[in-house]
Amino acid sequence: MSGDTLFTQIGRALPRKEDRRLLLGKGRFLDDIVLPGALHVCFVRAPLAHARIVGIDSAEAQALPGVIGVFTGADLARWTTKLRLEPAIEGLHPVQMTALPIDKVRFQGDPVACVVATDRYVAEDAAELVVVDFEPLDAVASFEKALEPGAPLVDDSLPSNLVSHQTFAAGDVAARRDEAFSIVEARFGLHRHTHAPLETRGCLADWDAGREHLTFHIGTQAPHPLRSQLAARLKLAESQVTVVSPDIGGAFGQKIALYREELCVAALSRHLGRPVRWREDRLENLTSASHARESVCRTRVSVAADGRILGLELWLTEDFGAYCFYPANYMARVVAMILTGPYRIADYAFDVQVALTNKCGNGPMRAPMAITSWVMDGTIDAIAARLGLDPVEVRRRNTIRVADLPYTMPTGEVLEDVTPLETLEAAVAAIDVPGFRARQAEGREQGRYLGLGLCTVVESTTYGSKFYKAAGIPGSGHEAAWVRIEPSGAVNASVGLMGSGQGYESPLSQAVAEGLGVTAEAVRLQMGNTDVAPYGMGSRGGRGATAGGGTLYLCAQKAQAHVLRLAAHVLNLNDATGLRLREARVERLLDGDWQPTSLTLADLARTAYLDPTALPAGMAPGLDFSLTYDPPPMTYSNATHACEVELTPATGELRIRRYLVAEDCGTVLNPIVVRGQQQGAVAMGLSGALFEEVVYDADGQNLSATLGDYMIATATEMPEIEILALHTPSRRTPAGIKGMAEGGIMGAIGALSNAVNDALAPFGVVADQMPLSPQRLRDLLRGATSKNAGKVPPK
Amino acid sequence: MTGPARREITLSVNGERRSLTVAPRKLLSDALREDLILTGTHVGCEHGVCGACTVLIDGRPARSCLAFAVQMEGHEITTIEKVAEGGEFSPLQQALHDHHALQCGFCTAGIIMTFQAFLAEVPDPTEDEVRDVLSGNLCRCTGYQPIVAAILSAARVMRGEGQA
Ligand code: FES
Ligand code: FES
Repeated sequence: MSGDTLFTQIGRALPRKEDRRLLLGKGRFLDDIVLPGALHVCFVRAPLAHARIVGIDSAEAQALPGVIGVFTGADLARWTTKLRLEPAIEGLHPVQMTALPIDKVRFQGDPVACVVATDRYVAEDAAELVVVDFEPLDAVASFEKALEPGAPLVDDSLPSNLVSHQTFAAGDVAARRDEAFSIVEARFGLHRHTHAPLETRGCLADWDAGREHLTFHIGTQAPHPLRSQLAARLKLAESQVTVVSPDIGGAFGQKIALYREELCVAALSRHLGRPVRWREDRLENLTSASHARESVCRTRVSVAADGRILGLELWLTEDFGAYCFYPANYMARVVAMILTGPYRIADYAFDVQVALTNKCGNGPMRAPMAITSWVMDGTIDAIAARLGLDPVEVRRRNTIRVADLPYTMPTGEVLEDVTPLETLEAAVAAIDVPGFRARQAEGREQGRYLGLGLCTVVESTTYGSKFYKAAGIPGSGHEAAWVRIEPSGAVNASVGLMGSGQGYESPLSQAVAEGLGVTAEAVRLQMGNTDVAPYGMGSRGGRGATAGGGTLYLCAQKAQAHVLRLAAHVLNLNDATGLRLREARVERLLDGDWQPTSLTLADLARTAYLDPTALPAGMAPGLDFSLTYDPPPMTYSNATHACEVELTPATGELRIRRYLVAEDCGTVLNPIVVRGQQQGAVAMGLSGALFEEVVYDADGQNLSATLGDYMIATATEMPEIEILALHTPSRRTPAGIKGMAEGGIMGAIGALSNAVNDALAPFGVVADQMPLSPQRLRDLLRGATSKNAGKVPPK
Repeated sequence: MTGPARREITLSVNGERRSLTVAPRKLLSDALREDLILTGTHVGCEHGVCGACTVLIDGRPARSCLAFAVQMEGHEITTIEKVAEGGEFSPLQQALHDHHALQCGFCTAGIIMTFQAFLAEVPDPTEDEVRDVLSGNLCRCTGYQPIVAAILSAARVMRGEGQA
């Protein structure tokens, strides 16, 4: 890329500033913060998926030494307001919930009461002594059951369990079907996941009764939006609440919303006038925090004889669980909006239905739109299989080219500066498709089943306010930053993001350093405290670099311009033309050469703060800059994933033999951190596609409540992930940043599944339901006949 | 329900004798973190799966969430706080930093403790051996690839074969 040679700080492989404290065991996570006299909370949770609360007897629990009190939904309702989600979106029913359920529980693990004690062990003992009288109700534990006529209502205030239903059509898909050479249908079932950050949720509330001020310590991705919610629901002014986020042991989307447990802890600290803390245990985290992804997509695609797509239809259903901490259309809608991704498709229609069920509620999990690329590229493979065409060729024929840009998707989304054909060709070349096909053919002769899967991803990274508006999702996409040069010349900066392990400190320092003209080592980022940081929308999606880094970069540029105006005055120049700041020293362009001057940033800072009479007329004292920025409606990065697997038909065992990603995510702030995000996202996608699964039985009992049951991939199962960097800058964002961090999941799910289906092809079966566990593959293959190697033995 | 009374015990932690008063059911992980304020040891599951709480007991890696503090009298316990003598990274810590082998860092202490012991015993492991031992520690962030590379690199450095 031509631009990046101009950068001196952006793009450096600067090691992570966080590492030292984390490697020494000196990170400061929530549980490492000690507040003397803090009380501990334990929640009493529903053992049934759906039941009326008839009565709660806490006498025995209250009598236990060390117990301060047991509080119920009725108690909490006196101190808190309800969460109401009522965005004016067609087809979306408004919903509301209290701090704790009062009349009935809606899933196994729903909190019913809250025990406060002097010690966590005692609180857990007491929770077991609370007797709740439940009247069991029939539960709905699947999307299908939820929509049966006469199905029990998960939310009694709704007319049915169909909480959201939206349709869309562009062009004329019926006409395209009529003129099609062939109509191909495919199904894609993604199972229920949960985020499972290694550090569970937790919080520490500290009510200062004298100042009437709440300090709320919590690992949160979005400190300010959380503060807004917390203040509103406690009936406090936003000036009465400070949210402080310490180091976070992973979040992946699970630490955005204000959960009911957290609200209870805050309300109880205020009620009791003492610090109160909660540490979620792993069972609670797996069963009661937030789930994600469970959805089924069906596509019907009209194609020409050469594989060109004429029209595409999507039916998407999502099993949302029992409660809406986000509008129920939030995740599914984005999938439908961006489905066509890298492909040229004008005629498109979708039908998206979201149902409530008696399971833990869904939330966005790293790549809320995870299923998208699997659905689209899986559909492409289905076309190739039906028409007997090369899947690479079908992709080529449909992929958007540079000449097509800017390309307006049928939903109105605009793609600019994306390179899907380039990443496709790079991945195809690197994985050596002809070589693979030869090995595959040879393997099949010997009864070895290799498969190759490709998946091109167009990743929606930075959601600007205009996207939210267009998608019918409430929300702002802006971000805010400040940069302060202190009197000594030290540089502080802040932004509304809060990292949960990505390693923001180095790359964001680089954005500031580039804009200001200092080295990244000299910049200190102050994040996570709402009294310090400006009001931004926090960390979610892939917005950290573009929204966070971009805003900081622009703000630092504004600071540099001011500093140079002051420098010009001190140097007796008319204006700042021909001046720049580099490594905190003012440089001057003389005869086409940048020459250092004697002036440093520290000199100018001293003048700005301590000698205001020396400032030029009209210049205010101090060096304190702030800026807000609303990114374009959406920024996109793109990638093509290629995955080679070997399947053992007799056991269903799957081995990943090779995995590579060709990716274009624009200007890279820090290649170390970006590589970590790419590899981490692919690994999380593979882990989910292969092993992880939240399992409920027909009565809504969660059967995957330990990390032994909800299986996260270990080091023995994860492949090496090769990365081909093909970055080209965006022309629409500060410094050309595009953002990334979620696309790895989208691509991994799609590439793996396409590879498995390539391996399965000789057997004439298609895997259309995740996870691709040995059991599921074995079930598919039982009794199936390979064209090459005869029948797979039935078990 | 509150169980038998708290007891005064003396533990040997990181080479120091430390006295504390704990209930018999108090987990070693909680005693280290809450009573001795050694918060570098993390707790990720409390059921023995994730490995975040790994410490050394008599030089061998063990899950501190699966032991009671009162069982530890007479044993030598080593935690992450002891690894960097005088604030200097061990070769393993340095390699983890150099290979960008941590993100949130919540799993990191457990991994360091596991491999401080393993590399002392097996100075020249294969990648498969490293992956096998590492499978006892879950990492949700990295995909393990850089951790494996870091451990192999640390082993080389510890064998005196330079960085590479
Ligand atoms: S906390 Fe001990 S193994 Fe997870
Ligand atoms: S770095 Fe986050 S769990 Fe390993």
